[in-house]
Amino acid sequence: MRPSNAVAVHAALLIVSAAMLLPFYWVLKTSVTGENIFQYPPTLLPRSIHPFYYVDVWYYVPFVRFVANSVIVSVLVVVANVVFNALAAYALTLAFRGKRLVILLLLSCMLIPFQATIIPAYLITKELGLLNSHLGIALPLCSTIVCIFVFKASFDAVPRSLIDAARIDGLAEWRIIRHVMLPLSMSALATNVILAFIWSWNSFLWPLIIIRNQEMQTLPLALSTFLSYLENTTGALYAFCIMVLVPGIVLFLLEQRRFIEGLTSGATKG
Amino acid sequence: MQTWSPFRPSRFAGVAHYEELFFHDEVFWQSFWNTLSFMASAPIAIALALVLALLVNAHIRGRGVYRTIIFLSYPLMPVAVGIIWRWLYDEKVGLLNYLLLSLGLVEQRIAFLDSYQWAMPSVIVAAVWQIVGFFMVILLAGLQNVPPSLLEAAAIDGASAWQRFRRITLPLLRPAMFLCLMLGIINSFTSFDLIYVMTGGGPNHATEVLITYIYRSAFVLSKFDYAAALTVVLFVFLLSLTWAANRATGGEAGAVDAAE
Repeated sequence: MRPSNAVAVHAALLIVSAAMLLPFYWVLKTSVTGENIFQYPPTLLPRSIHPFYYVDVWYYVPFVRFVANSVIVSVLVVVANVVFNALAAYALTLAFRGKRLVILLLLSCMLIPFQATIIPAYLITKELGLLNSHLGIALPLCSTIVCIFVFKASFDAVPRSLIDAARIDGLAEWRIIRHVMLPLSMSALATNVILAFIWSWNSFLWPLIIIRNQEMQTLPLALSTFLSYLENTTGALYAFCIMVLVPGIVLFLLEQRRFIEGLTSGATKG
Repeated sequence: MQTWSPFRPSRFAGVAHYEELFFHDEVFWQSFWNTLSFMASAPIAIALALVLALLVNAHIRGRGVYRTIIFLSYPLMPVAVGIIWRWLYDEKVGLLNYLLLSLGLVEQRIAFLDSYQWAMPSVIVAAVWQIVGFFMVILLAGLQNVPPSLLEAAAIDGASAWQRFRRITLPLLRPAMFLCLMLGIINSFTSFDLIYVMTGGGPNHATEVLITYIYRSAFVLSKFDYAAALTVVLFVFLLSLTWAANRATGGEAGAVDAAE
């Protein structure tokens, strides 16, 4: 590439990057500003940096409790997804009567977005007595068809001879999954973990519907409740926002390649 | 359809709900059209993502860093993204109003999220900001499948950069762009979080889309039966749109390949 072209590309990308990062910067700046956040004109750089608003959040809401709720739900969802999806995918690699029908059914169900099932899902959860519980939040997310097919594609690539050898050696079917299939499907496993984690961690509509007590709220729900109490009137809202975003951003930056791979393969396989 | 909620005994309602919905409910029609205009975020995001994908596909230093920055907003919690954008759009001290005023682009402050005409475009901008990195990565994967030998051969034959893009790259990107379009359509039917946090469907239903209307009918107004009828309409609408999009592009849906 000619140097002049490279400069133009860099310039364009720098502008776009600035536009992508500016919102983060602005909220971060607001959250650490010591002075009144309603001062006009706003200063582009924070004048005196204070953690006051972060301390405020700590006193306003049971932050640790919210984090614990979110973590419990996410762990439930991630574990359930890996177990159920791996089992379902393994079953789909075997030959059985009506297999095509099952696959067709799964594929058609994939067209139904979760948002279109909230009313029956709510009624079922209510009948099960799981309103206001961690299991209730986790339940609808416990298995996802896309992730079953992610596993299935990976399991299909495992050589038949290996599975036959394991069977001759007397391995039970579930041990074949555990000791042969899963170790050979690490990237499918990572996709499952990442997708299940993002979906449960960011999930908002469903907790909004079934959670009524403050102490059962997950982070997104707590954040939106905080907003509805305080509107835009305090910097604590933005401190809360940053506290909620930071774990996600750190996780993303650490496992960037897998995140991008997982999210796109979740979409393209689907 | 049953006239039913957990708090009332049920009775058969026939098509009464659908009749009300189609002929007497203005909010339904408004949320229907709003869902369609919110869908405009898909082509906007795809066009932007295409430009970005071409840029970061160039052989320049630090392109990995640019990709990371552009993708970063996608996996974030939509509720937090909504709060960030609310603050940017703030009428009195929001950064956007400040920048527009300082640059002299507007005479007076715009109440982005509180004005009937600006609310929807503002929400669309936020939605595009969040999803553009995701589309970029999908298109980038498509770009990397374009064989370089094809482009080189065309260059030797004297095709200009634009011709190479138009005649080789773009046709080969069709499946990736179609995938983005599908995801964009589905996304516009299901993105509840961002709209709920930014405007709550207001002002005066200016940003009410089907999914926020369903939520409000069922869980705020306790009209479960009516919300169920709305859900059926949403689902049929979504299904026919994806079917039409699939037909229009000659059935290149990725879903079928996963079958066997």
